[in-house]
Amino acid sequence: MAASVRLLVRQAIRLSHRNITVTAAGVSARPPCRCFSESAEERSTHFGFETVPEAEKAKRVYKVFENVAQKYDIMNDAMSLGIHRLWKDMLLHAMHPQPGARLLDVAGGTGDISFRFLEYVRSQRERQQRRAVRFGQTLSWQDISNSYSTIETDGPRESTAVVCDINKEMLKVGKEKAESLGIIAGLSWVVGDAEELPFDDDQFDIYTIAFGIRNVTHIDQALQEALRVLKPGGRFMCLEFSKVTNPLLARLYDAYSFQMIPVLGEVIAGDWKSYQYLVESIRKFPSQEEFKSMIEDAGFYCVQYYNFTGGVVALHSGFKL
Amino acid sequence: YCCLISSMQSGYSLPTSVVAAPTTTNPQCGSLRRGFHCAVLRLQDESKSDKPPSSTSSSTTYHEHYQAHSAEQDAAASASDPAFYKIYQDQSGEQDEEYETEEQLQARILTAALEFVPLHGWSMEAIAAGAESLGLSSASTGMFEKGSGDLVLHFIAQCNAQLTEILAEQHNQVQLGQAEPKKTADFIRDAVETRLRMYIPYIETWPQAMSLLLLPHNIPDSLKHLSTLMDDIWYYAGDRSTDMNWYTKRAALTGIYNTTELVMIQDSSPDFQDTWTFLDNRIQDVVNMATTAKQVQSTGEAVVQGLMGAAVTVSLLSYIHHLNSLFS
Repeated sequence: MAASVRLLVRQAIRLSHRNITVTAAGVSARPPCRCFSESAEERSTHFGFETVPEAEKAKRVYKVFENVAQKYDIMNDAMSLGIHRLWKDMLLHAMHPQPGARLLDVAGGTGDISFRFLEYVRSQRERQQRRAVRFGQTLSWQDISNSYSTIETDGPRESTAVVCDINKEMLKVGKEKAESLGIIAGLSWVVGDAEELPFDDDQFDIYTIAFGIRNVTHIDQALQEALRVLKPGGRFMCLEFSKVTNPLLARLYDAYSFQMIPVLGEVIAGDWKSYQYLVESIRKFPSQEEFKSMIEDAGFYCVQYYNFTGGVVALHSGFKL
Repeated sequence: YCCLISSMQSGYSLPTSVVAAPTTTNPQCGSLRRGFHCAVLRLQDESKSDKPPSSTSSSTTYHEHYQAHSAEQDAAASASDPAFYKIYQDQSGEQDEEYETEEQLQARILTAALEFVPLHGWSMEAIAAGAESLGLSSASTGMFEKGSGDLVLHFIAQCNAQLTEILAEQHNQVQLGQAEPKKTADFIRDAVETRLRMYIPYIETWPQAMSLLLLPHNIPDSLKHLSTLMDDIWYYAGDRSTDMNWYTKRAALTGIYNTTELVMIQDSSPDFQDTWTFLDNRIQDVVNMATTAKQVQSTGEAVVQGLMGAAVTVSLLSYIHHLNSLFS
């Protein structure tokens, strides 16, 4: 009895030692001393090409995005030569949301997807109204009097978008952008972790995560959460860098990624290491087929993927049925 | 353990009682043995009762409940109790029927969407409204790659299936001697009229549907449905030809069918009388043509007529599509 108590006490001391070393060492230091780690408790994951304990990955990712938040959009344009706008437009086009849909944009950061979503839905609503007016011009008196009564009862459902990100800096930048673009109504900003979303079940019609899921430590947990917060019939859409299929393009892409992007990062944002992490994390992300089976395992149906730009970016889509 | 039993039991009961069941059985899960006895009694009661097991899943929530419970049912079924095992076996067939595939769900959404076509036209809004009426989110319209073309094709497949049923029924009656066999011309006329009458509820929006079928990604499917329809009508009319006649007959009927459809969408006479008169005349033309052809062996004439009918159809349809694109 006494022996087991002593064992427990010793374990508790070891754990507390480990915590202290982690916080003292800071984020950019080497991983904590292996002699304190228990192989059963601690698992390691990848942070770019580096191997780090899982607990540390989230912190390091947070630091990366905290550093790049201010220059995030400029860097996106520079690195992808503006093509990222096309990718995001194609995501919206594939989504083609119906008026009244609720969007949850996880890892939405600076809000690109949500802004496009609101624009799309608003122009659709305008088009519908224009069509209704045009056809209304040949209505009989009976129909017109009927339509007066329906306008009051059937209020048009407004679409809303919720931007959720774990990083407060990114959300701050996003809010400033929204104000400068004049988009205020229908948009809300929430701090939350993709692995543990602060929302109830069956809330959203569409869940998107654009270029964010490779930064999540436990991707399957994020997929489970996505399934939980979606309504029945809801759609999960994930835009992410993926494996290039064409070997020639792959070589060019690799050269460009590893030679050019960190340099651009240093020149424009003053941060080489963050963009090195970016490029490495792209390589560590599973391929299109693997990710598709991960989504199916989480419980989504009709899972499909579409390659953009020869496989540089892939859009995965699944339904909660 | 007793919670497993209660959930398994709730999975078998009718949808309305699924929600109620857990709350009533929880208080009884006091002691393990007591719960076990109560649940076994409950199950035995159910197996003896005359309640017919529900065999159609009418709501997706029930379907989802089933999915969630199937894992538990598997676990519970492996219990060595004979009562459980027997009930699991009895209900297993029912389980397979109730598990719905993605295609069946898509078909249900499209059928529900047909109600909203008079309001929204053949469009994604109609499909979204159909999905919402089933309790699904409007985002599920993303499943339909061809968009509103899927809705039109689904409707056409439904109509074709209905027609085949009607023709098969008539055929049976003739076989049983309860009805007299009709002449070929009359049979064709009745079959085409029955088929075209199915469009009457949607006749206002039918031009839009026809133009949707002309879109390049929809053409293969629409041609497939059309050719199957023509084949079915001729088959039930008694055609068993194996030579050039097979092609000429179907080409002729395609021409008749398409031109009659076009007349129908701009017909404003009571009960579409003008359309049926037009149909009669066209069939008469073909019959006359057939008799002359037999006399002078000009099978080529019928082919030309069918081709001309098809050419007229295509030009008129593309004109309508052009008009539609101007107005929408």
